Amino acid sequence: MSRRFLRLLPLLLSLGAAPSVQATGSLAVVVNARCGVAVMSRNEVINIFFGRYRQFFNGREAQPVDLVDGHPVRGQFYRRLVGKDLADINAYWSRQVFSGRMQALNKVASPDEVMKWVAANPCGIGFIELTKADARFNIVYELAP
Amino acid sequence: MTFFSLPHVAGNCLRRVRELCLPFVLAGALVSSPALAWDAEAFSVHGFGTLGVTRTSSDDVEFVRDISQPRGARSHWSGRTDSVFGLQASWRIRPELEAVVQGVTRYRYDRTFKPEIAWAYLKYDPTPALSMRLGRLGTEFFMLADSRLVGYSYLTVRPPGDYFWYLPFYSVNGADATLTVPLGEDVLRGKLYYGISDGKIPLADRQWDIDGSPLMGTYLEYQSGPWLVRGSYANIRFNSNLPIARDFYGLAPGVMTTTEARAALDYLRTDDTRSHYYSFGLVYDSGPWQFQLMLNSIDQGSRAFESSRAGYVLAGYRIDSVTPYVGYSHVDSTRRTSPVHPAVARVQADSRAQQETVILGARWDVMRNLAIKAQWDAIRGDTSSIFPYRRERDDWNGRLDVFSLTMDFIF
Repeated sequence: MSRRFLRLLPLLLSLGAAPSVQATGSLAVVVNARCGVAVMSRNEVINIFFGRYRQFFNGREAQPVDLVDGHPVRGQFYRRLVGKDLADINAYWSRQVFSGRMQALNKVASPDEVMKWVAANPCGIGFIELTKADARFNIVYELAP
Repeated sequence: MTFFSLPHVAGNCLRRVRELCLPFVLAGALVSSPALAWDAEAFSVHGFGTLGVTRTSSDDVEFVRDISQPRGARSHWSGRTDSVFGLQASWRIRPELEAVVQGVTRYRYDRTFKPEIAWAYLKYDPTPALSMRLGRLGTEFFMLADSRLVGYSYLTVRPPGDYFWYLPFYSVNGADATLTVPLGEDVLRGKLYYGISDGKIPLADRQWDIDGSPLMGTYLEYQSGPWLVRGSYANIRFNSNLPIARDFYGLAPGVMTTTEARAALDYLRTDDTRSHYYSFGLVYDSGPWQFQLMLNSIDQGSRAFESSRAGYVLAGYRIDSVTPYVGYSHVDSTRRTSPVHPAVARVQADSRAQQETVILGARWDVMRNLAIKAQWDAIRGDTSSIFPYRRERDDWNGRLDVFSLTMDFIF
């Protein structure tokens, strides 16, 4: 774990020093193409990723997946979606988890694993770099840099 | 192999209110669950904690977080007001069924840090819209009340005292149901809960045992983008009297005769009285901004307590990793005039609160899942405002500055 932290350290430092260096292109919220969800609004995306509501408009249950804290795409996603720092996001989830309202979303280590998750679950939903999206997914929302 | 049926045991628990039942309820659910395959991902352990020190500007009163604490902080740094540690284990038995146990250690009614089981429940979500829990649960008399101990989850060092002092109820043995309805892009959520209180409230050198008192509550909230608005109502029917009989019967006959004492105690009866809690909350949370407005009204059924109203506003703005915040809170109680006896009036005056507080502080998110906070509470009140404190002296002038420093973490 500490080795992982050391590997991430330069990344974290560079994030703090010059966020623009790490900024990737557009991010995409992707849903398994078989789920029948073509497009979502920003608030609908927020509802799913903040656990406010777990269902798509077509009535099917969403199966969202998040990235681990250490991955830079996570920070970018939430900053672009709600303008919040990861500390705020984690504070929000600590309230949900420790008050017993709900568990945090499942987390995986990389966008590749996000894609694996979304493809494996009939109504999986996750966020990745736009350039990674392929025909298995519907791009339901885009977050420009 | 199932030795007992879950509904039967759970029903018994609710009736008998024996905390020992809870593990059996959980065990029963596990035993009767068809899918017992052990899955490491389905099991998780998380924790939270606060290491905090507090001091005040006065030795005339002791400052406490809420009335569940028997002793508080004075002009020397004290670690007991805010320090807490909690550990939570959860097991997702099936996608829609989950068992959760949370243990917490903090400074409590009996002046120890003895760990307690804060929650122990089964959560069943038959549909994405409906969620039900059964077991030992947190209470949500006011918004955010069920995460009061998780310092990392909020901005301030502790929930504003003028608003939360009156709330010593943390856990109940009971059940709740939450219904979530989408309205376009917005979300409407309603919750109903019922349970049997499980707790003691410290009073001077004694404890008031409210174990077994039934309570119930409901709220309705509407969430639209960054806005959240909630109205709530709850009540508790106390099933015991304040432990003051000895004091009254102990008075010299010249001061109070036995007959008068009996009449006074009857006048101050809490047994079989109901207290009502109304609240309204508005939260705005967007980008770097956080804003909260909360109002409450507590209608005390017993003549032993004064009814009260309280409110607070809080605003914070994040600048990089530091979020400075400023707040204002107010509480006042309605004076009761007792025709019975001066001794009765003294008991009633014990629940008097009449003060306001200006809160200034900052939260610094030092690193992942760790925050350091510093806060100054400037309390300005009437000299009669003694309910929120412990061990007040005659010199108490109603003015108190509280300085706090905490480190909050989650893992």
